[in-house]
Amino acid sequence: MTTQTLPRIAFFEFTSCEGCQLTVVDTLQAHPELLNVVEIVQFREAMSERGEDYQIAFVEGSCTRPHDETRLKEIRQQAKIVVALGACAHLGGINAIRNRQPLEEVRQYVYGDKADWFDTYVARPIEAVITVDAVIPGCPIDRNEFAMAVSHLLQGRMPNIPDYPLCIECKLMENVCMFQRGKACLGPITRSGCGAICPAYGDGCEGCRGLIPKPNIESLKQVLREHGMSEEEIDAKMTMFLTYQKMRLEEKR
Amino acid sequence: MSLRIMPKGALKAWVTRLQSRQFKVVGPKSLHGQYIFDEITDPNDLVLDYPTSVLPPKKFLLPPRETLFRFNARTMESHAEITVEPLIIFGVHTCDMHAIALLDKVHNTGYADQHYKAHRAATYLVSIECLKPCMEGSFCKSMGTLTVPEAFDLHLTDLGSDYAVDVGSEKGEELLEGFSSVWEPTESDYERVNNVMAAKWPHFSYRLECDVTELPDLLSISQKSPLWDELGERCLACGMCTKVCPTCYCFDVTDEIDLNLEKGERVRTWDSCQIEKFAVVAGGHNFRSSRALRQRHRFMRKGKYQYEAFGLMGCVGCGRCAAACLVHITPVDTFNELYRMRQSAKAVPQPQIKEPQP
Repeated sequence: MTTQTLPRIAFFEFTSCEGCQLTVVDTLQAHPELLNVVEIVQFREAMSERGEDYQIAFVEGSCTRPHDETRLKEIRQQAKIVVALGACAHLGGINAIRNRQPLEEVRQYVYGDKADWFDTYVARPIEAVITVDAVIPGCPIDRNEFAMAVSHLLQGRMPNIPDYPLCIECKLMENVCMFQRGKACLGPITRSGCGAICPAYGDGCEGCRGLIPKPNIESLKQVLREHGMSEEEIDAKMTMFLTYQKMRLEEKR
Repeated sequence: MSLRIMPKGALKAWVTRLQSRQFKVVGPKSLHGQYIFDEITDPNDLVLDYPTSVLPPKKFLLPPRETLFRFNARTMESHAEITVEPLIIFGVHTCDMHAIALLDKVHNTGYADQHYKAHRAATYLVSIECLKPCMEGSFCKSMGTLTVPEAFDLHLTDLGSDYAVDVGSEKGEELLEGFSSVWEPTESDYERVNNVMAAKWPHFSYRLECDVTELPDLLSISQKSPLWDELGERCLACGMCTKVCPTCYCFDVTDEIDLNLEKGERVRTWDSCQIEKFAVVAGGHNFRSSRALRQRHRFMRKGKYQYEAFGLMGCVGCGRCAAACLVHITPVDTFNELYRMRQSAKAVPQPQIKEPQP
């Protein structure tokens, strides 16, 4: 394979902590052969060059300002394939927690007397603005899943991201169920693929990889009630990463 | 084949001896307050009077993730990969032995599963008699799985200070070879075994309200039961019931290729009929798109389909799925509820029941 034929990829960030791009850098250390199979033309987190001639765009971060939309559309125009990288791009991320509050108050709270300078609005996943071809979920993304996703894209396939619940992965690891430990867990409604890392270390799932298709949220709420959680605590538990998806489900109802 | 007696104190020396004979020994050991089947490196870790394990010992015969073959995507060469090692599984409960008997039948019917067969041939099963009920959800006595089926190589019964060791096969005999701390039973040893076996029986209760032999017919006439919708409402479709089940064997197959697009492997992983995508076919149609249909399918398999296809029940009453389920869906309650619904239907004029066409 000659250099000319290598697929050109680029990384972009919107509202996010850039932790997913750091995970990509980390992946390059675990899989240095990645550099032999793709040409990275733009990656602000890791290099100075800024090529605009890319075919695959990995986009981290959520859309939170009107001019994010312009940039996202430019990226969509250029890239053959757009991949949402991580929970912010995929779900709006923790930025979307604010979507349930009046925006004016949010701006005041964050920016104080400079609130007028910022045109920030509801936080949305990038698919709310442009067509997204594939998603690599998680906060942050999983490095092995990133490598697998790149391998699939190079084969001309869409990344095979699990869409079954975390309980499957967690049970295979023979972890003690969080509910047996008296902790709340969103595993039954959350997409698998992270290696059940939070339950494995003793914490309930926060849902960073997003909802599975057709989640039974009402039944899980009942389970949480049976385990002594109040309605307020249940709503709070489902707020961290799932606000945008849950608000969309509520609109549909 | 024959019975021997081994003092309990000799167990550790026996395990150590087996390890020195290049056997890998696995068995129940304690982990965070539960028990899992895992490699025993220190014989002190082996716990034979454990209640139940999170995953059944099935995981050694049908690994959750297994490479079937490796290939080179450039040269298109491929070769099967079957990696097995001599393995002894200690402490298999009788319910799990019945499950293995079913798995044996399934994987040797029609096109035999070469990977399963290789694992099974390299595996020595040392089962143990259950003397008291292990947990709330188990109902082995009703399912007829409280006695050991013939699949064992050695079967242990706890006699207090000794184990009665039932030798079930030549493989079992091989495990005892050259070990001096076993002896032929005396008349009084036989009496001890009989006493323990007689004493254990009343500790277990019959929990099914119908006879196990009625289950296939009961399920046949329950295709349209409103119970399935009730279960579907509650079910989280988390799939845990199928992960912990000793008789579930459905799998998915995927190809994994390295980043250079050269070396790859075809891998099979455990699947679950409870997840949304399980019954989706090309074109996107889902044959079991609702949770109610998927739960119905699960219980049909456990109480009817497996029996009809292989002559053995698909549920062995181990109770693991009942313990794992966060919304209290259990096989014993489900079967009993269906039975009660049929009983009360009999009390009123019988409606015409239409059998679904095959």
